[in-house]
Amino acid sequence: MLSSFLPDACCREAAGVAFVGAFDALGIQTALGLSLPSPTIFAQYFVFAVLLGGIYGLIALGLTMIFGVMDVINFAHGALMVVAMYAVLVFSDATGLSPFFAIPFAVLLLFVFGVVIYRSTIAPIIDAPQENQLIVTFGVLLILISGVEIAFGSDPRQLGSTSAPSKSPACSFRRGSCTRSSSRSSRCLERGCSSSEQCSVARSAGPRTTATARSTSGSTSPDRRAHLRDRCRAGGLAGAVIPLFQSFTPALGDQYLINAFVVVVLGGLGSFPGAFVGGLIIGFIQVFGSAYLGGSTYQIVIFMAFILVLLVKPEGLLGGRR
Amino acid sequence: MSNALSRAVERYGAFRDEWYALPALVAASLILLAAMPFLRQLALFGYAPLGWLSLNMLIITLIWATTAQAWNIMSGYTGQFSFGHAAFFGLGAYATIILTGTFGISPWIGMLLGSVLAGIYGLLIGALTFRYDLEGHYFALAATLAFAELLRYVFTNVPQLGGASGFFRPLAREYADGPGLAAFQFTGDLPYYYLILGFLTVVTVVSLAINRSQLGYYLFAIREREQAAAAIGVPTYRYKLLAVAVSAFFTAWPGAFWAMYFNTIRPTTVFDLLVNIEILLPAIVGGIGTVLGPIVGSFIVIPVSEFVRQSFSVPGLNNAVYGVILIAIVLYSPKGVVSWPSRFVELLRARTDLLDDDAA
Repeated sequence: MLSSFLPDACCREAAGVAFVGAFDALGIQTALGLSLPSPTIFAQYFVFAVLLGGIYGLIALGLTMIFGVMDVINFAHGALMVVAMYAVLVFSDATGLSPFFAIPFAVLLLFVFGVVIYRSTIAPIIDAPQENQLIVTFGVLLILISGVEIAFGSDPRQLGSTSAPSKSPACSFRRGSCTRSSSRSSRCLERGCSSSEQCSVARSAGPRTTATARSTSGSTSPDRRAHLRDRCRAGGLAGAVIPLFQSFTPALGDQYLINAFVVVVLGGLGSFPGAFVGGLIIGFIQVFGSAYLGGSTYQIVIFMAFILVLLVKPEGLLGGRR
Repeated sequence: MSNALSRAVERYGAFRDEWYALPALVAASLILLAAMPFLRQLALFGYAPLGWLSLNMLIITLIWATTAQAWNIMSGYTGQFSFGHAAFFGLGAYATIILTGTFGISPWIGMLLGSVLAGIYGLLIGALTFRYDLEGHYFALAATLAFAELLRYVFTNVPQLGGASGFFRPLAREYADGPGLAAFQFTGDLPYYYLILGFLTVVTVVSLAINRSQLGYYLFAIREREQAAAAIGVPTYRYKLLAVAVSAFFTAWPGAFWAMYFNTIRPTTVFDLLVNIEILLPAIVGGIGTVLGPIVGSFIVIPVSEFVRQSFSVPGLNNAVYGVILIAIVLYSPKGVVSWPSRFVELLRARTDLLDDDAA
């Protein structure tokens, strides 16, 4: 959220200095033996952590929403994101337009996917035990990911150089090596961040009212379908934003999905603010963890945080018993 | 309908209701499996109908049949779905190869230690997830998956545990007199086949014993309605933990076998997300909570997938086949393939009744 309030590079740098200063004052730097980078890079890490946290929050929101309203655990959520990533790629390659214009296209496409998946697989067994729906969405995941892999190959892809915002290869966080992005691309990160957050706030406001409507009027099928579409669009939005700042593979959805599951439990099942708080925590662990710990050790830290929450506050940070 | 058919159906229906039906069917299928290496060479008029089943494919099928059977003890019997059984599988594999390769200890001891380790890890997962009984399925899903993924990242990032490149299987003469049962390594594929069949037999017998015991009734009660089970005095928490521990213990066995059968193990081969699926898929396709289901299911899922993978050079297509089979089974026959004969019998009975009514 901080990133949206920092209008230009100068201010960001100033914030970075303040942050590092606070770090030093606490003696953390010497205690941990860390060598902090220049304030600019630190500020960029910070911005990126907020961005990633927003993405995780968005994905977790879709998961927790669909679970809270429909009692369906959607395993295909990550796969739908991958579809959105490649939709953005295809769209911006074909039209040569900025990928930002591709986002509505991806969201629309995912909406159609959501309806088709719901109609063909979930609606027929909506009254069956929960595992069955889970397994079905798993089947959807496998088919979608294989389809993407067959169509596009499993090599990492990146938005073409024709599209301005990702001219410099920003960050490949999967490999844990964050290259210094130009100020231009970090401005793009900011825009991606603020746009994703605004959209997700808008989306989180909608379903909550319908969710309460459902609890008063009883669950009806059209209502549920509407939520599934919403969920797919949320997933589509998150997926469509991801190509703006990192290269992607068909397998990327799984990684985001598993962390989003962690975010949901971390923040509290069914809690919308919890999804964002949890998302930000995971985002910060991932960005700073991959910068300082090396490899994919940050992922271990994420799971450790998850286990800690299981031990100490199993209902999640912001969740209460429903 | 012909008289002979209806009589055969009646006889099958009567057999199905006998107490010895299940053990007899299990024994028959295990004997059939023991004869499989010879059956596949059998040629009818110069054409071998099972010739496309290579020994290697049969071994892989039995590995997943064994894991699915072990998974079934926890998830099928108690209804506590686990998406993280790759953790136990991988622990078995890594414990075996590290103890053998680094310390020169017999792989059998490594397998035993790996199984105990997996059982303890299972207890840890169970203790953390069952205690709070929050939103059961979602919680269990996220937690089991997270615990499996945790191990994957630990093994990937700790160089002492092999790192991302994993381990090579040591040569048999480095820690034993040479290939043989004591070394857990053989020169041909056939001994491997009978070894994994032995593992499958042990796990199946355990599963059958649990199915028929007091313990089994407790577990089924937990699956059907946990609160009711607790209300009549079943200590549900303790029995769920027991089921996880037993299941984890036996899941480590095929893991150890995997480590000694293939040349290398890496975090991506034994802890991968897809391993979690390959473990539970045969049980779901064959029939969740049944003793025969995992065996029957594995012989449907794995050969088809391997066949697709080897015949078409399209990477990822075999996963799509998994997906299609999964969706089809859950949508049209959620009780699995093993329920088909019973459904067939009932269908025929209903038709015979209808015909009798018409005649009367």
